[in-house]
Amino acid sequence: MIMAVGDTNNTSVPVRPKERFDFFHDERVRSVFYQVLTAGVVGWLAWYLISNTAHNLEVRGMNTGFGFLTATAGFDTDFKLIEYKPGIGTYGRIFLIGCLNTLLVSFFAIIASTFLGFFVGILRLSNNWLVARLALVFVEIVRNTPLLLQIIFWYVGVFAILPRVKNSLDLSGGAEVVFLNNRGLYMAWPVPGDLFWMTTTAFVAAVVGVFFLRRWAHKRQDQTGQQFPVVSASAALLILVPGAVYLVTGSPLEWDIPTLQGFNFKGGFSLPPAFLALLVSLTIYHAAHLAESVRAGILSVNKGQTEAALAIGLKPGRAMALVIIPQAMRAIVPPLISLWMNVVKNSSLAIAIGYSDVVALFMQTALNQAGYAVEMVAMTMAFYMFISLSISGLLNIYNKRVQLVER
Amino acid sequence: MAVLRAERTPARSAPLSETSVLGWLRKNLFSSWINIILTIVSIYIIYITVTGLWVWGVTDAVWVAKDRRDCFDISIDGACWAGVIVWLDNFFYGRYPRAELWRVNLGGLLLFLWMAPLWLPRVKDKIFIGLTTVFLYPFLAGYFFAGGDKGLFMQVMISLAIVALIGQTLHAIIGVSSGRGLPEYLIRLLGKEEASEARQRHTLLAILAGALVVAFVGQMGWSFVGVSWTKWGGMFLTLVISGIGIASALPLGIILALGRRSKLPVIRVLSTAFIELFRSVPLITVLFMATTMFPLFMPEGFVLNKLVQVIIAVCLFSGCYMAETVRAGLQAIPHGQYEAAHTVGLGYWGTMGLVVMPQALKHMIPNIVGSFIGLLKDTTLVSIIGLFDVLGMLRAVSQDIPWRGLHKEPLIFGAVLFFVICFAMSKYSRHLEVKLSAGDNR
Amino acid sequence: MKFTRLLTLAASAFALIVAGSVGASAQSTLEIVKKRGLLRCQVGPPAPGFYNLDANGEWYGSDVSICQAVAAAIFGDKTKLEIQSVSSQVRFTALANGESDLLSRTATWTLLRDTQLGLDFTAINFYDGQGFVVPKDTGIKSALELKGATVCVLTGTTTELNLADFSRVNNLDISPVTFEDTNVRNDTYLAGGCDAMTNDKSSLAASMAAFPNPGDHLVLPETISKEPLAPAVRQGDAQWFDIVKWTVYVLIGAEELGITQANVDDMRANATNPSVRRILGAEGNLNEGLGLSKDWAYNIIKAVGNYGEIYEAYMGGGKLGIGIDRAGSANALWTQGGLMYSPPFR
Repeated sequence: MIMAVGDTNNTSVPVRPKERFDFFHDERVRSVFYQVLTAGVVGWLAWYLISNTAHNLEVRGMNTGFGFLTATAGFDTDFKLIEYKPGIGTYGRIFLIGCLNTLLVSFFAIIASTFLGFFVGILRLSNNWLVARLALVFVEIVRNTPLLLQIIFWYVGVFAILPRVKNSLDLSGGAEVVFLNNRGLYMAWPVPGDLFWMTTTAFVAAVVGVFFLRRWAHKRQDQTGQQFPVVSASAALLILVPGAVYLVTGSPLEWDIPTLQGFNFKGGFSLPPAFLALLVSLTIYHAAHLAESVRAGILSVNKGQTEAALAIGLKPGRAMALVIIPQAMRAIVPPLISLWMNVVKNSSLAIAIGYSDVVALFMQTALNQAGYAVEMVAMTMAFYMFISLSISGLLNIYNKRVQLVER
Repeated sequence: MAVLRAERTPARSAPLSETSVLGWLRKNLFSSWINIILTIVSIYIIYITVTGLWVWGVTDAVWVAKDRRDCFDISIDGACWAGVIVWLDNFFYGRYPRAELWRVNLGGLLLFLWMAPLWLPRVKDKIFIGLTTVFLYPFLAGYFFAGGDKGLFMQVMISLAIVALIGQTLHAIIGVSSGRGLPEYLIRLLGKEEASEARQRHTLLAILAGALVVAFVGQMGWSFVGVSWTKWGGMFLTLVISGIGIASALPLGIILALGRRSKLPVIRVLSTAFIELFRSVPLITVLFMATTMFPLFMPEGFVLNKLVQVIIAVCLFSGCYMAETVRAGLQAIPHGQYEAAHTVGLGYWGTMGLVVMPQALKHMIPNIVGSFIGLLKDTTLVSIIGLFDVLGMLRAVSQDIPWRGLHKEPLIFGAVLFFVICFAMSKYSRHLEVKLSAGDNR
Repeated sequence: MKFTRLLTLAASAFALIVAGSVGASAQSTLEIVKKRGLLRCQVGPPAPGFYNLDANGEWYGSDVSICQAVAAAIFGDKTKLEIQSVSSQVRFTALANGESDLLSRTATWTLLRDTQLGLDFTAINFYDGQGFVVPKDTGIKSALELKGATVCVLTGTTTELNLADFSRVNNLDISPVTFEDTNVRNDTYLAGGCDAMTNDKSSLAASMAAFPNPGDHLVLPETISKEPLAPAVRQGDAQWFDIVKWTVYVLIGAEELGITQANVDDMRANATNPSVRRILGAEGNLNEGLGLSKDWAYNIIKAVGNYGEIYEAYMGGGKLGIGIDRAGSANALWTQGGLMYSPPFR
């Protein structure tokens, strides 16, 4: 008689006369055994590494613990979103500045690359041969060279040729509120006055109003078939209500305008060239990747859908917006969100051009000054893990919703 | 009632837009106002970039000069390619001794020879060839690249690698010409087709043992000068790191993916945590961790050099990404396959190893090529922690006294180099995708 | 069950390997180096003057010469050397954990580093100091005029700290623009991206020499920091510390005594000056305390020349030099008003 070769899942073989309890071949015993074994090996490895580390730290007289977070840091950083003075600010604050800088550049890069990616993805499918080819060349070049090289290229090649401070480009067209030069981008920044909170409240109220307006309009269309101009009504609501409140309370908003004083522009809000170079390179790199996903997503929609949409009299633009894109989104969103994760992770390459993100500021400069390698590496990794897991949590929620929609 | 016509209707000529250039232009470039504007804008963009690059990079460029001042004297506005040309050896081989470069080249050639049978039609046992590439080739190449003393273990592995290389090359030649495998051919050559299976197996084993002994004796004569890892660099180092990364990522990825899909909670949780840990942080932090924390992890007196630290980091990183690729591949296998495998009495490892994995791997090949491209590009990050990979070398040119300050030209050269390699590979992976999915549709 | 057994086997093999590798006992660094037949010397990423790669992949520079000198002292052969280029984040750990035997790179000797990082600085081979470069057309003559200026600085080094201190002390409100890469910093400065740039003066000189018009720029007189550069070794091996320290002193002493790479053979055979005879091993037994061969100093000078020759080749006006004047600087010999001084060889 030929016995089963394998040793699991053979309880159902009927030719066996009777199942004897065999300690070594019982599935439950084996499962417990494997798990204990794995846990043991992993636990031992962890213990081994930790004890080595502790020993080495002690032998080398290196400092440990998180006490350094409240110690003052002596170095300055050229870009910070929160107040910090060298010699007064702490390492904890340095970590915070780094995290905020990472988040800032990632946030803008995510928004910009999402728009640019969709744009290029649609261009890839353009019926204009030249445009489609050009988009293809762009995508292929960007996708097939390392991001690090591109970041350095943008920084070295492009931002170094911007004009000097004295000859700044006025991007606001003569209004002298936004300037671009090779020290960065300078722009006017609003400083809210005493009564500005009323305008903010009015805006929030308008947003809530728009929400209810849309629900009402939708309901009415379902019941009566009549359409309501939701878009223009919402726009009016959003602009007019806060605008009126703003004027009535006496325009309580001052603008801090950058002006040339001595060597530099003073006042306003400024972004360093490293930030701009990083933003541009991250945007372009990820937009090219996204363009391919968008293209694949659009192509994944059955051609019959386009034909049907055109057949019921929708113009090509409307057909794209109302029929094709919503269906393509199901294929586009998962790669889109993992792309967002990549933007956050790739922003760490800022270190190559000296933008003060969390890696450059905390994991390099601070680590160089203070030591505490284990703690600093762990904190930086924990930060990235937190962000990535939050974004992938978002993806899971979306996936669940899409699954519910599917019938 | 049917209308029949005796003669065939003559074919109408193709519409103008399909035949004449003008028609094509009109249809593809000038069909509407928007298209006309788009076309003009595109032409303008192309004109600006191409003429700018052409003047700087070709017509005004300097190709031969003895240093950068010389370049400036010849043409101040053009590119100075002379420095790039002088540094080419550094870009490709790093600091590898110039007299020993043939070893790197031979190593590369052997890899090509080794993997060529995988692409040839009619060759059997490709999985075996793939396995030897992962498990034997590294020893042979490692000895070629590093040289120095070889211990007994290394000698055995090198002999095995030589036998495997010769054997499978013969196997491939025989396969292409006659469609048979090497063992079958040998048996036939010795006239033992009628002998029992056991006898045949013994004969083959004897031949294998004989070949091994010959190879072992043969390789004892080899002795290469040791080349320390600090002399490895350039594209060679980039390829070594990413090659090892991708080769070890596969086994690691398979184990982790199986772990993540396991029914045993401890194993599943541990695998998931490990995968998510490495997937959620940037590679640069993993590299920093490797260089700052690995030395602390090691027992006192045990030193890992920077290259090993970096390679371990890259392997862990790419292994975790591969795990997700493998998981996706496994999910694509219909459940019926598992059930069928169980029905014929296969256990867990039999099911996975003989039925599920081979199918999943086939689906994954394009993704694996994609991961390799990604890893190749990501490997440039090792230049940040001080290894002279290709990017490190490209950036070192500007510090060399004769070529001080020359940094744009090397970067552009590097971009072109990467583009050629990565573009070729991505085209190939797309081709594979089409080919493999065509196989499925039949 | 086969799989389980395999796993157990693998685990125990791993444990064995790990246990076996712990065996390395406390040998002296000299013994380790001699046994290996190779000196592992750590430098940094290429920096003009100190350590550079040439088109053939060979290292050159003044700190590389120190590495070669130590290799020559031990083996009588300057090529028995493995140069490791290590990024600055891990330079001290790489020395502390034994990856490198010797650190010969632009690491400033400070009290904190000397006492808290498990390393010892040997003898100073270059006195550097942080300064500023400005374009001449700005009309600035002193660093104290840099109020509100933007200054380009390299990240991750003490230069950043010094700049912050200088700005605070003098109430200058300087805003730093940090860079990872020297070239990018130079390009930005040249394009007017910052009003001044700061670094060690040696490095500034090297950068300036590569500017299209070096004459348009000015190094300001202030030196805002002391940057004594010295090779460093691991703490706790006095013999190794002595070898490296005295290798540097041999280079300086040889210059004092007029011994050069070209005349060293002649000097050893014919010199009458007892100092020269002792240093070159023609008489006495100075080598014994170091555990080196009698001709160790002869080998050093034969291999790399004396301090003045090295300076001229890589720091001064030589073909591969970066053109920093030595006369009148701290790097001149003490007999010429500098600080380069070697203890006597007796």
